[in-house]
Amino acid sequence: MGNPLLLIWKSLFDTEDDERRDRRATLRVAAASSAQATATIFLILRRMRTPLIVLIVIFAVSVLGLTLIPGVDPAGRPTRMGFFDAFYFMSYTASTIGFGELPYPFTYSQRMWVTISIYLTVIGWAYAIGSLLALLQDRAFRSALALQHFSRKVSRLREPFVLIAGYGQTGELLGHSLDELGRRIVVLDKVADRIDGLEQDSYHADVPGLTADARDPGHLAVAGLDHPSCEAVVALTDDEEANLAIVMAAALLRPELPVIARVTSRVLAERMQAFGNPGLVNPFDRFGDHLRLALRAPASYQLLTWLESGPGGELGARGTPPRDGRWVVCGYGRMGRELTTDLRAAGLEVTVIDDSPEDVDDPGLLVGDGSDPWTLAQADLDRAVGLVAGTDNDTTNLSLVAAARRSTSSLFIAARQNRPASAPLFASMRIDARLVPSELIAHEVYAQLSTPLLWRFLREMPARGDAWAAALIDRLTQMCGTRLQAMWKVRLTRTEAPALAGWLASGSARLGDLLRNPEDREEHLHAVPLMVLRDGEVTLAPEGDFVLAPGDELLLAGRPGARRALGTTLLVPSVLEYVVHDRRVPASWIWRKLTRTPVADATSLR
Amino acid sequence: MNLEKVVFGFFVVLAATLNFGFFIGDIDDPVLHNPYELFAAVVVNLIATVLKFGDRTQIGAFHLATSLVAVLQLVAAALAYGYAEYVSTAGMDAGWTASVVSLSGGALLANLVSVVLLVVETASFHRG
Repeated sequence: MGNPLLLIWKSLFDTEDDERRDRRATLRVAAASSAQATATIFLILRRMRTPLIVLIVIFAVSVLGLTLIPGVDPAGRPTRMGFFDAFYFMSYTASTIGFGELPYPFTYSQRMWVTISIYLTVIGWAYAIGSLLALLQDRAFRSALALQHFSRKVSRLREPFVLIAGYGQTGELLGHSLDELGRRIVVLDKVADRIDGLEQDSYHADVPGLTADARDPGHLAVAGLDHPSCEAVVALTDDEEANLAIVMAAALLRPELPVIARVTSRVLAERMQAFGNPGLVNPFDRFGDHLRLALRAPASYQLLTWLESGPGGELGARGTPPRDGRWVVCGYGRMGRELTTDLRAAGLEVTVIDDSPEDVDDPGLLVGDGSDPWTLAQADLDRAVGLVAGTDNDTTNLSLVAAARRSTSSLFIAARQNRPASAPLFASMRIDARLVPSELIAHEVYAQLSTPLLWRFLREMPARGDAWAAALIDRLTQMCGTRLQAMWKVRLTRTEAPALAGWLASGSARLGDLLRNPEDREEHLHAVPLMVLRDGEVTLAPEGDFVLAPGDELLLAGRPGARRALGTTLLVPSVLEYVVHDRRVPASWIWRKLTRTPVADATSLR
Repeated sequence: MNLEKVVFGFFVVLAATLNFGFFIGDIDDPVLHNPYELFAAVVVNLIATVLKFGDRTQIGAFHLATSLVAVLQLVAAALAYGYAEYVSTAGMDAGWTASVVSLSGGALLANLVSVVLLVVETASFHRG
């Protein structure tokens, strides 16, 4: 280490070594955790020492006694039992099988000794078996076994999987939607009941689950953080610190993995941003964005909720929210604060009601119980245009909504639903915007993991304005009705669209030509291109004269039939030839040779 | 003084001495080899093996291995003895005696290794 030049050389060109060291660190973490499991099993085996020694001693004493005590054979001659006879007799007597007195009927002195040894051996067996059963019931032993079982299952996974830390309502929703999509998941949670509940859940695939604290990198490593097939880590625990710890562990041990974390506090969000670039989901912030979008651009909001609802979703009614006026926000917790900021940023006046606010410097703050009619009267609800029922208590929120509906029926109402059990009550209340934090997070994470293109589209779409969104909704409803039928992705590469290679390279590949019906090219396919992604740049809702290039990714919405038709066009060269150039070209090689199709036109036939 | 160490050392040494007592004498003379001594050796060796359960150190693992070898050899010797006494028509002749005693001789070697390990462990413990 004496030569500084060598040191500099090493630090400049040693990046590969660094990677290898990272890898080793991860492996060590996992190994330490599984070694812990075997250690527990060894320690617990030690507890079997005493019962086993007691059993051996009792057997030895009884057998020895039987060989020493004299007996008689049927002829009346004195004889002694051999070791084998004695051991055989004790074995069947101790295990209460009892074949009788072998080889000859016993003398009284032998019977006295056998009586004593029967009681001794019964005690010995009871002690040994009792200890063994107690051992199997032991919590430490069981969790050590569960850990071993779990790590074996995870290390055997050969398909890509998503590691979900925190399996509450959100984790469950996300797990089920990923499972529907055919993706494998691995689950970690601190609460044993939730992991035990995995067995009753109806998953298509086997879901390995472990009761462990996800803050421990060792547990994350056992759950597959260092597994080559791990494709993403999702941190959904209730504890924000724990989510931060998970983001840290993932960013330091596997920097290349995408990480998505649930977070509600801005401070922690910033601390997470310091570790790589994790996807952060803040349900209150997102709901605030949604609400602001609903107020500012009703059509954009309508499009957003429609596309987010997934296949089969019905187009919702376009709301007519109050553009200006005063809002009443009940509950000044995390959600209340986010919404108040968002509403004020939109230039609206806000009155806040809370029974025990922590900082009182808000100008529009009213201290009092929101469900109290007197407080509501004080907040002058009659002349407000909108109400946000955002406390963390469902009963309070429901009574707030009911009271508001009674006083002014035209009020725009946003409400927060905390528990899944209250869903039917909230659904029957005719609420304009409903926030279910666990569902919102699950939808967001799902959108990010399942179809990244849709996620990108939803992020870029609001900037285009309300009129643009309304036009797109019109196009979509004309093409495929008010029910969202299928949404799919097409990648124009050599493997996924082999027929297109030559046509794309020609530079005149117009999108409108591609989206024609292979049966009758005059007819347009019932599909709307939502977005084209090229080298990280997006084009929203491209028109028919958009020129495609190799490697483009398309997001389309439309009928399933259109999806099949487009698939044919992408795969079969002769179909493409008809669709694009209106030329009927023979599909088989022999027929093509016979009809002498020019080579220039056959570039796309390759 | 640690009582656990006393018990452990006692059983390890006793296993070796009993084994030696059975082994010593002309290899084919059944009179010189007492079956009760073989029985005692089997039982004490079993106890010594169970005492070595659950020690995760390197030397502990080796201890357990030597004991398992000794038990295996002694049980084989006892089975051979039982076969000669009860099944074989020849009874406990010179040939059977020789095979029983030589099997116990193998066990004696394993027991000696065990004693050596015990001594090494004790000596290194005092120095370290």
